[in-house]
Amino acid sequence: MSALLTVEDLRITFPTRQGPSEVVRGVSFTLGRERLGIVGESGSGKSQTGRALLGLTPPPGTATAKRLEFDGIDLRSASPKQWRALRGGRMSMVMQDPKFSLNPVMTIGRQIMEALAFHGRSSRAEKKARAMAMLEAVQIRDPERVFRAYPHELSGGMGQRAMIAMMLVTEPDLLIADEPTSALDVTVQIEVLRILDALVTDRGMGLIFISHDLRLVASFCDRVLVMYAGRVVEELKASELDRAQHPYTQGLMNCLPKIDNDTRPLPTMTRDASWAL
Amino acid sequence: MSALLDIRNLHVTFGAGPDAVQAVRGVTLKVAEGESYGIVGESGSGKSTVLRAICGLAPTSEGSILLGGSELTSPRRADFYRRVQMVFQDPYASLHPRHTVDRVLSEPLAIHGFTDREARVEQALTDVGLGPSFRFRYPHQLSGGQRQRVAVARALILEPRVLLLDEPTSALDASIQAEVLNLLDRLRTERGLTYVMVSHDLAVVAHMCDRLMVMQHGQAVEELTRGALRARAATTDYTRQLLTASHGYTKAAS
Repeated sequence: MSALLTVEDLRITFPTRQGPSEVVRGVSFTLGRERLGIVGESGSGKSQTGRALLGLTPPPGTATAKRLEFDGIDLRSASPKQWRALRGGRMSMVMQDPKFSLNPVMTIGRQIMEALAFHGRSSRAEKKARAMAMLEAVQIRDPERVFRAYPHELSGGMGQRAMIAMMLVTEPDLLIADEPTSALDVTVQIEVLRILDALVTDRGMGLIFISHDLRLVASFCDRVLVMYAGRVVEELKASELDRAQHPYTQGLMNCLPKIDNDTRPLPTMTRDASWAL
Repeated sequence: MSALLDIRNLHVTFGAGPDAVQAVRGVTLKVAEGESYGIVGESGSGKSTVLRAICGLAPTSEGSILLGGSELTSPRRADFYRRVQMVFQDPYASLHPRHTVDRVLSEPLAIHGFTDREARVEQALTDVGLGPSFRFRYPHQLSGGQRQRVAVARALILEPRVLLLDEPTSALDASIQAEVLNLLDRLRTERGLTYVMVSHDLAVVAHMCDRLMVMQHGQAVEELTRGALRARAATTDYTRQLLTASHGYTKAAS
């Protein structure tokens, strides 16, 4: 399997009054055309890792790496022009909440067509046809209406599907999904994941799925990275999650309440200072 | 066992005329003293509105709510709030950003004319596992889990009999959620409190509650016991869907 993305020793630093604070400390992984999950709790650096891959570390933060390569392109020295061609075109990102990441004063259709206009030339009719086909692919029942709708006219699940449609219409090689389903209801969540799953399988995309929900990631991804305090503490196959070695991963698994067993009180985590070293 | 909280055919309508939204459409439930009752549903199902209607935060357009056998008046009387208190979903939003923990906890005591406030505040903080050192902090100096503990302390400081919990852990990380759930469980056992807990997470409700109601589109779909839930003895499709979804992602269409 050839690597689509190679990350070696990624570090992200933010300056604070107490001196620089390193929020991601030496993350390394490679990604093929597969589904990789990144799990961690708030503040573990999982979202910052995802953003850094697209060069979106918010200033004054800085991201450095020994190696950061996407399909043979060195992202560390990419020019703004190269970045523009990559972002949204060959690698794109689905954010957590469609309410904040869609343009509120532009119809869904125009937003999708804008993505197409930006990456490649095609006629208006062609763009519209592709946008409609994409809306159908994310299983929106009435694509004609959604095409003309503004984001506030859609429910959360619809908005998130429209967002996924926009990100996938350019047929990227890599999709980074940062908590794409956390704002959605459980039953809608499963539908959106089915869509992602089908698209990854059919188009052979690489997917990085960032989430705090270990159970969900384990059931959806092929491989899981568990992050704690800016570091990957464990990498394992999703199917072998119950054989996790690191006490943090075990703790995350055990502290979830389960319908079928009545452990009372729930096991809580005693955080060992050595995990953060 | 007689019902402590008795809700009969509750309707809640927001707005009027063609824009009226019927958030709750005919919900009936009984909660016995010392019981823990759960309401599960997706967003927009009206589950939170039921809690807010009990508190008097949402208008009751039809039906009645009885507490300890007598019907509640609107607006609620002060002694109602001595008996019923609520913990809200988001501890980042429900605590006043410019009030210290001490002020947050002392205010209800002052309103209800309690004496020895000093000791009660310290006791409340100890009860929720924070300790008196947290007394003069501001919310921004606390983590999410600590804030939710303060919110629980605020609700419990009036020594209510009923605690209404609106998604008390959904804004928290999984490991912190476990701590807060344990705290709520312990307090209920120690004080014999009655809980009505709303959540979208079936596993959380199954862990915390003896009986639960599944809501959809403002109506009760099904009421079942924890045992029935474990035995997968759901009688409606919707509950079965929720049960499947709570196990995580499955490849095949269900």
